[in-house]
Amino acid sequence: MRVSLFITCLCDTLTPDVGKDTVQLLERFGCEVDFPEGQTCCGQPAYNSGYVKESKQAMKQMIQAFEDSEYVVGPSGSCVHMLKEYPKVLSEEPEWKRRAEALVDKTYELTQFLVEVLEVKDVGSTFQGKATYHPSCHMTRLLGVKDAPRILLENVKGLEIIDLPLKEDCCGFGGTFAVKNAAVSEQMVHEKAEHISETKADYLIGGDMGCLMNMGGRLRRNDQDVKVLHIAQVLNSQ
Amino acid sequence: MTIHHREHFLNEIAEQLGRPRRTEVEPPVYSVQPQDRVLAGARADELVDVLEKQCEVIHTNLEKATVETLPEVLRKVLNAYGVRSVVAAGGPRNQVSGMDEFYDRLSGEGYEVRVWDEQEGRSNVEFAERAGAGIVFSDLTLAESGTVALFNDRFNGRSISLLPETFIAIVPKSTLVPRMTQAGRLIHAEESKGNPVSSCVSFVTGPSNSADIEMNLIVGVHGPVKATYIVVDDM
Amino acid sequence: MSIKIGKKTYAERIQDGIDNAFMRQAVSSAQGRFRSGRLKAAEDLGDWEEWRTLGEEIRHHTMENLDYYLYQLSEQVEKRGGTVFFAKTAEEANQYVQKIAREKEAKKVVKSKSMVTEEIGLNEALEESGCEVVESDLGEWILQLDEDPPSHIVTPALHKNKEQIRETFAEKKGYTGSDQPEELAAFAREQLRQDFLSADIGVTGCNFAVAESGAVTLVTNEGNARMVTSLPDTQISVMGMERIVPTWEDLEVVVSLLTRAAVGQKLTSYITALTGTKLEGEVDGPEEFHLVIVDNGRSKILGTEFQSALHCIRCAACINACPVYRHVGGHSYGSIYPGPIGAVLTPLLDGYEDHKDLPYASTLCAACTEACPVKIPLHEHLIRHREIIVEREQMGSKAEAVMMKGYAKWASTSAAYKLSTKMAHTALKPWTEDDYISNGPGPLKGWTASRDFPAPARQSFRNWYKQREKRRNDG
Repeated sequence: MRVSLFITCLCDTLTPDVGKDTVQLLERFGCEVDFPEGQTCCGQPAYNSGYVKESKQAMKQMIQAFEDSEYVVGPSGSCVHMLKEYPKVLSEEPEWKRRAEALVDKTYELTQFLVEVLEVKDVGSTFQGKATYHPSCHMTRLLGVKDAPRILLENVKGLEIIDLPLKEDCCGFGGTFAVKNAAVSEQMVHEKAEHISETKADYLIGGDMGCLMNMGGRLRRNDQDVKVLHIAQVLNSQ
Repeated sequence: MTIHHREHFLNEIAEQLGRPRRTEVEPPVYSVQPQDRVLAGARADELVDVLEKQCEVIHTNLEKATVETLPEVLRKVLNAYGVRSVVAAGGPRNQVSGMDEFYDRLSGEGYEVRVWDEQEGRSNVEFAERAGAGIVFSDLTLAESGTVALFNDRFNGRSISLLPETFIAIVPKSTLVPRMTQAGRLIHAEESKGNPVSSCVSFVTGPSNSADIEMNLIVGVHGPVKATYIVVDDM
Repeated sequence: MSIKIGKKTYAERIQDGIDNAFMRQAVSSAQGRFRSGRLKAAEDLGDWEEWRTLGEEIRHHTMENLDYYLYQLSEQVEKRGGTVFFAKTAEEANQYVQKIAREKEAKKVVKSKSMVTEEIGLNEALEESGCEVVESDLGEWILQLDEDPPSHIVTPALHKNKEQIRETFAEKKGYTGSDQPEELAAFAREQLRQDFLSADIGVTGCNFAVAESGAVTLVTNEGNARMVTSLPDTQISVMGMERIVPTWEDLEVVVSLLTRAAVGQKLTSYITALTGTKLEGEVDGPEEFHLVIVDNGRSKILGTEFQSALHCIRCAACINACPVYRHVGGHSYGSIYPGPIGAVLTPLLDGYEDHKDLPYASTLCAACTEACPVKIPLHEHLIRHREIIVEREQMGSKAEAVMMKGYAKWASTSAAYKLSTKMAHTALKPWTEDDYISNGPGPLKGWTASRDFPAPARQSFRNWYKQREKRRNDG
């Protein structure tokens, strides 16, 4: 099975290790992973800020980059959801809309791909520790991926998952919101950090680098000793 | 003239919707009907059980009676509340259920009793304002929510179920339906035939309450503070 | 009042909200209760998603045929002895109500809770024409005495604590009791009972009008709306033109959705459906009934991509689910309609000029969309507003526009993008310490004011991947 990795611009630049783990994880299950060089950013920063015209340029770049792919898999619910929105955003350009639909049909978030396409429930990994999991908003509410991460984490040997209070609440990231409404964002991420500390977990696991970067940045600022991990890192741990 | 500025107002709506004015609309067929499944096929006794459970949620006391024991149960309820003055809905049901006699008896014993009487006009309302309890018959009873539906009319003034501190509803078992769906359907059927149901349909679910002060539930604000339903086995 | 409240800027309002510890605590605990109530009520039904679908379909059908149903409604009201006034603007609505008050020589008007009368400023209009106006919903009465705007559409005095309420009662009404909620409520009951009995006119809003019968339905817990419609001789109901359903069968569905989504109740204590005037032989109820149907900017929303915003049934589920609302409170929105639905509706009804910040007061987490019982895609509407603000209204910041132009170029030119991933580490190096940035430049400032930012990696993923491929091919 040929899988094109959609790395996302955050992982590409800030957390390449997440990408490495994603590649290895997919390869472990027999996927032939490639990395289309033309990919950039999904367009969400511009789209969610109202710069739709600008976001369309990014979208078209992405559509072209993945045109030859069999499957497209990304380690982010939020960015994958953005891809899923392309046909709607490009609805007034029929040819692009058609190409966008083709992209949508073959695109999956990493855990979703593992569970739904590869039909894997236990990736056979081992990770010793107490962790809590943040189900990010776009992954659960917009992409509808609620169960896959839970199923996969439950089967990681040695891992104890502690429920995060008010876990369905946004961490306050919201892309440009974190900068534009920095004061409100701070309150939100502070509350989230408090909930994380209530769990007494040593690790915070999530499926979206944006949220993890936000919460991790606050935890670090608060001197809270919680390590932040992307779910790919946990699933690829032996 | 009793309708003002209608044409221009509605024409603008049609224009915004990008079409001519609609003078006819096919009744829509909705894709789902989840409301029909709630308590579907429940027997009367099962509905009573549901009602009884819901009464705990809505701070309402529930009593059971037969047509024969109703006066006795009612007297017990009044005594428990320490109520000496009563305003009650009028109408033919009082005769059938023996309530007329009961009210006469109460009067004889020194209770202040007013059976709603349109001839007395506004003094009914003034009486209700002073009365300790208001007693009505439920016209339809919604088991799921614990609601008595009152089709207020010349016999059942709006004030009876509203002004006194205690609200007492006599609930004939035959009036029980699963939920508001059945009430909506019945009223819709009547309205479709051109039969107005009531100038005031009151769905009453327990005593009045409010959570406006720091989200604390306060039972009893403007309307009744206490409520009792008496389910009467009339089947 | 009008839609807009207060004169402070968005940033000032937000800071006020954040600094108000009591309010935040109150909102947070209220949200918790509302949320668990709503979830429990939904769970009890078992098939909540189907109910939401049905609610959406009913609302959609109604809006698509709104002219027909409003016509039917007005015919039915007339048939049952009422008068109907269609008001294009707030002024027209207020003038009509003032005219009735003059004709009735009304001295006292008692009101039940209504957002649309807040929106059009009816109280001020009636007071101008010499009427005493008494709000009778407990929360609204507290706010009226304290001259404070609502901060929530269902529990308007959510931001006030019981000590503040006791003080207000003492100062304005000579209350001498404690700050126990029961005692405060009992005082309100006693005070307002006299107002109900002596009022000349009762004014209500309208949760849902029923087109087929001409009924105006009011959903309350306190019983005040029943007082307002049972005791005064004249009843005036004011409704936003979209607050209508075709039939009683539709009514029961939207009422079920409303009470569950709003407060987690199967039904509220009182659902009262009032049709026209009292009938012959009836002792209580109004002799005269007026229905005022208000447009005030709503028709402009029809036929646009925002039409579903008119589906709103005012349950506040989106407000109760919103994490931004939790931290800033209702007054921060500067509108009588706060929270996600407020951020969508306010610019539509009152323009972008005063409210252009509202669509950005959201992380787009979509908790609102998920909570909405009639499936309004609230977060999508917020994105659309943002697009209009920057593209059509040209109200975005210049710096941001420049940045976004740059973004477009960066994200659509793979060479530029590639170069940046290579350069990022070096570019941010001056600010980097232990692989983190704690005091970032430019746009990073807002971020690093309250949290650290991870420094770009020394080697981007794509470079690693390229080298790996090379090694493999060489190997």
